[in-house]
Amino acid sequence: MQRYDYLKAIAPEAGDALAVCTGWGAREWWAVRPGDGNLKTRTLGLVSSIAAGLALALPQRKVIAIDGDGAFLMNLCGLPTIALQNPGNLIHLLFDNEIYEASGGTATASSMVDAVALARAAGYKYASWVGTPEEFRAEFVSTRRRGELTLIAAKVEPGQPKNLPPLRLDELENKYRFMRYLEETEKKGILSPGFDSKL
Amino acid sequence: MRKAKRRLVALTSRNTNLPRPPLVATVIGGNAIAMTRDPKQCAAAIVGGLKKAGIDFVATLPDEKMVEVIRAVAQDRELKHVPLCREEEGIGICAGAYLGGKKTALIMQNAGFLNCCNALTTTSLQFQIPALLLIYYAGDIGDRGFTTLGSVTEPVLQALGIRSYILRKNDEIDGTLHGAQILAEDSKKPVAVLLTKSVLGVK
Repeated sequence: MQRYDYLKAIAPEAGDALAVCTGWGAREWWAVRPGDGNLKTRTLGLVSSIAAGLALALPQRKVIAIDGDGAFLMNLCGLPTIALQNPGNLIHLLFDNEIYEASGGTATASSMVDAVALARAAGYKYASWVGTPEEFRAEFVSTRRRGELTLIAAKVEPGQPKNLPPLRLDELENKYRFMRYLEETEKKGILSPGFDSKL
Repeated sequence: MRKAKRRLVALTSRNTNLPRPPLVATVIGGNAIAMTRDPKQCAAAIVGGLKKAGIDFVATLPDEKMVEVIRAVAQDRELKHVPLCREEEGIGICAGAYLGGKKTALIMQNAGFLNCCNALTTTSLQFQIPALLLIYYAGDIGDRGFTTLGSVTEPVLQALGIRSYILRKNDEIDGTLHGAQILAEDSKKPVAVLLTKSVLGVK
């Protein structure tokens, strides 16, 4: 099973949760859950930190981080930081294909690593490996209901489905659409008014 | 004559080493000029300045010289405080918080700023996300032990296109922090304020 199969299984359960994604996972997530509540990050490793900041700023809103093993390993120090804040609205998903898929496909160290044990040791109260998309969906649904910081991880095969639609967004368009969507759904002004605010 | 002069110099320098009063605040012409020497008072002034600038979310990683500032942030109920394990994740956390409507500051040493360069480039600058960077200027003029760090700090800020302001006087805290925050929001970029020993009240 590939990451896409897992994403497809949870997309119908995501509701209006905000999703912060990285690498190929971003394009796949947009394919299964299109919309302006998705953000694609550009700094390897920071997907979980950006999602955590968002979750802390909007504690009433569910936030999903769609992490990969390369990014996860690069930002291990982010785990205790997140666990210390313990945002109950953050669902941290890890798809571990044991390679840097977006950077040419060379191996990460993750075949030697138990990411769930790392998360638990860092202070995540809930963290588990799941073996199938159906189990993943069930765990995702119970996590949503529980409202506690959770890592759900799965080992996946590399690769994407054929005919994955391209992501026609640059960072700025993504940011503005994401923020306008948040303003609309959270019913509050977020972007500063800018120079012409008095006009 | 020469001897007398030397003695005078010695006396003067010894006098400057005398313990200073913890807090001297004078009011001249209606303007309060706080010549604060106490680190706690300095920290309170800096945190007060952050709040007046509208900051409500602060991520920190300490330098010894900024310990009182970080304590003051941690104790302030109006500020969300996020202690970090590495500065680069702080750029991510502050970026996410900004997207969710927070006004963010990141407090760190200049070594930590160097740790952040990729995140500043590929998150803050690429997505045009503002943040106030309060950076302790280790290796600044008169500071021992970190001259290499001090010598690269301003050139790296310039190379990144991040505007920076050095804060040396207590009476400039509010204006500089408020101005830097306006600049950050309006330019949608991080703006750095370099904190020095004098403004932190530390030796």
